[in-house]
Amino acid sequence: MTRYKRQDPEITRRKFINVAMGTTAAVGGVSLLSTLGAANPVFRLTADKMPPLEGDILVHAEASKEGRPITIDDLSTQLVRAWPMGKDENGADVIRKGDPNNILALYRFPKGQLVAPTNLEATIDGEVVAYSDICTHAGCSVSDSDINAGQMRCPCHSGEYDPKRGAVVTGGPPPKPLAQLPIRRDGDRLVVTGFFLTPPYPYHNNEAEWNNLKREVEEALT
Amino acid sequence: MNQWLDERLHISRLNDKFLRKAFPVHHSFFLGEITLFSLIILILTGILLALSYEPSNSMVVNSFDPGTSDAPNLIPAAYHSTLKINAAPFGDMLRRIHHWTANIMVAASVIHMMRIYFTGAFKKPREINWWIGMLLLIFAALTAVTGYVLPYDNYAYNTLKVIYSIAASIPWVGEWVAQAAFAGKFPGDGVIPRVYGYHIMLLPGILLALTAAHMLIMIKQKHTQPQYAKRIAYKKIVGVPLMTQQTPIMLMLALLFAGIIVLFSAFIPVHPVEYFGPPTTTPIENIKPDWYLLWVFGVLAIIPGFEFNFLGGNINSEFVGAILLPTLTLGLMFAVPMLDRSRENLYYAENPTNHPVRLGLGVAFMMLLAVWSVAGYKPELISAGILTTENANTVLWIATFLVPALSYFFVQAVVRGIRALREADERDRTIHAAHADD
Ligand code: FES
Repeated sequence: MTRYKRQDPEITRRKFINVAMGTTAAVGGVSLLSTLGAANPVFRLTADKMPPLEGDILVHAEASKEGRPITIDDLSTQLVRAWPMGKDENGADVIRKGDPNNILALYRFPKGQLVAPTNLEATIDGEVVAYSDICTHAGCSVSDSDINAGQMRCPCHSGEYDPKRGAVVTGGPPPKPLAQLPIRRDGDRLVVTGFFLTPPYPYHNNEAEWNNLKREVEEALT
Repeated sequence: MNQWLDERLHISRLNDKFLRKAFPVHHSFFLGEITLFSLIILILTGILLALSYEPSNSMVVNSFDPGTSDAPNLIPAAYHSTLKINAAPFGDMLRRIHHWTANIMVAASVIHMMRIYFTGAFKKPREINWWIGMLLLIFAALTAVTGYVLPYDNYAYNTLKVIYSIAASIPWVGEWVAQAAFAGKFPGDGVIPRVYGYHIMLLPGILLALTAAHMLIMIKQKHTQPQYAKRIAYKKIVGVPLMTQQTPIMLMLALLFAGIIVLFSAFIPVHPVEYFGPPTTTPIENIKPDWYLLWVFGVLAIIPGFEFNFLGGNINSEFVGAILLPTLTLGLMFAVPMLDRSRENLYYAENPTNHPVRLGLGVAFMMLLAVWSVAGYKPELISAGILTTENANTVLWIATFLVPALSYFFVQAVVRGIRALREADERDRTIHAAHADD
């Protein structure tokens, strides 16, 4: 009787089982991971979530007079917060506060005080100016400073902006100035004449996405 | 009945294995227990609160102040239900107990961790439990933060906004991660149900699982023995068994602890939702996180603004200050057991003064976090006139390096002093002993 040694198979059973199990676990794991995508709901751009756009009227944001159109006389060197108000698909008025980043800051300075880099073309007579009120650092709503008069200050991490000079950053962590919104006067009312001049928070470092949003808005409107 | 159960469940084996575990008797060994009691109180009060809380951010009419029929006073349902909880008998008390216990749980676990660190209890073979403990600390903080959001008042809303934007600041994937984590662009329609799910299902589940692992490992590996055990019975486990000697001690401690919490809650109000009001865009002055996250907040406050592009991803100061730096800090804490190379299993808790470098580094680290926490008060420091807007960052950055370094050397000096005293004592004793021999 000859004793013969069995040839080793190309792979051992142990190895085969390990590889098979590993593959199954990997494929299964990845497929389960894909369900995480369900956590991220689809975004629908409704009228109340659109950024301020041409033709919008600026209305008070303060709770007691929310929705009332702002007149030039309401404004001063103290900050006044405003929402843009536009129309929805049916032509009804809609305050665009579905996106809280749409909140605006309005100022009115005596002639000559507003200087570059403020875009004076986009102000009313070089007196009334509108900015995004959302800090470019982490998105808090910016107020008047109680420490440095005439400056704006963010309550979250003390970012500071100068509203007379295009809201440039004068202190703290914000990376960019507040975005300026072009406005004009129409009788008593303040009317938006176009999109923000620079990408507002949270698009301030992502020009491409801001342009995408603008395109989406334009498509939705036509 | 014991026998009846034993015949079916073999209780006596459980008894031998777990219930007779010896507990060292020393006051510093009760901190972990306090953390555990807190978790239990949190779960109990949390269940009661969940029974009356409405996890939804859709708008409902405020039943306390309905407004008029053409201008109804609408507030988020979650906020409304919080108001209702406050108005219910003992409702506000329940919220306070829950809140205070959460704070104390984090505090107790931090002090517990200090005990582990300074006595070297993290060393081999207990590294795994140090890491699990770190995870427990992190998840406890996350649970607390999600709990902050649930009342959905103006404070919670603004906090959530900051958290969202921190998540969104991660390069490449941030926007997606933030939207997936918080149910869409801020504030998503489903954000409160989402955070509620985290706070009452996901995170407590993780916490409980980790706690179970933490304790099983502790029972398996046994506590480090306090020094006195060495003198009593060398290399023997000294302590009182869980059943029955330790149990009354624990019970007393638990009751005393619960009593203190209730006392706290009775006199110190927390998070006045009525005062903050429903979410608005009007910011809250000097909004701050809880004390254990203040250091992250401080880093954010003193880090200069910048951003640059790196391989298509946007790296900004917010990401560096709120994610990168804290991750490094926590990483350092995770690495603690790896800095120790001894191969021996640690048996006795070490005297901190015998390890001056470790002691000094630990104190320096705590001072660093303390300096950053103070930096969280930058606006107050400025308005109080202690710092000015111009010099605040510089001063705080210098302190960031100087204070930990100084405290390191200070600790070394103190340790040297203590050792000199001890040696003098030693010498005295030998001299006296020698005299006695004469
Ligand atoms: S969010 Fe404004 S300074 Fe940080």
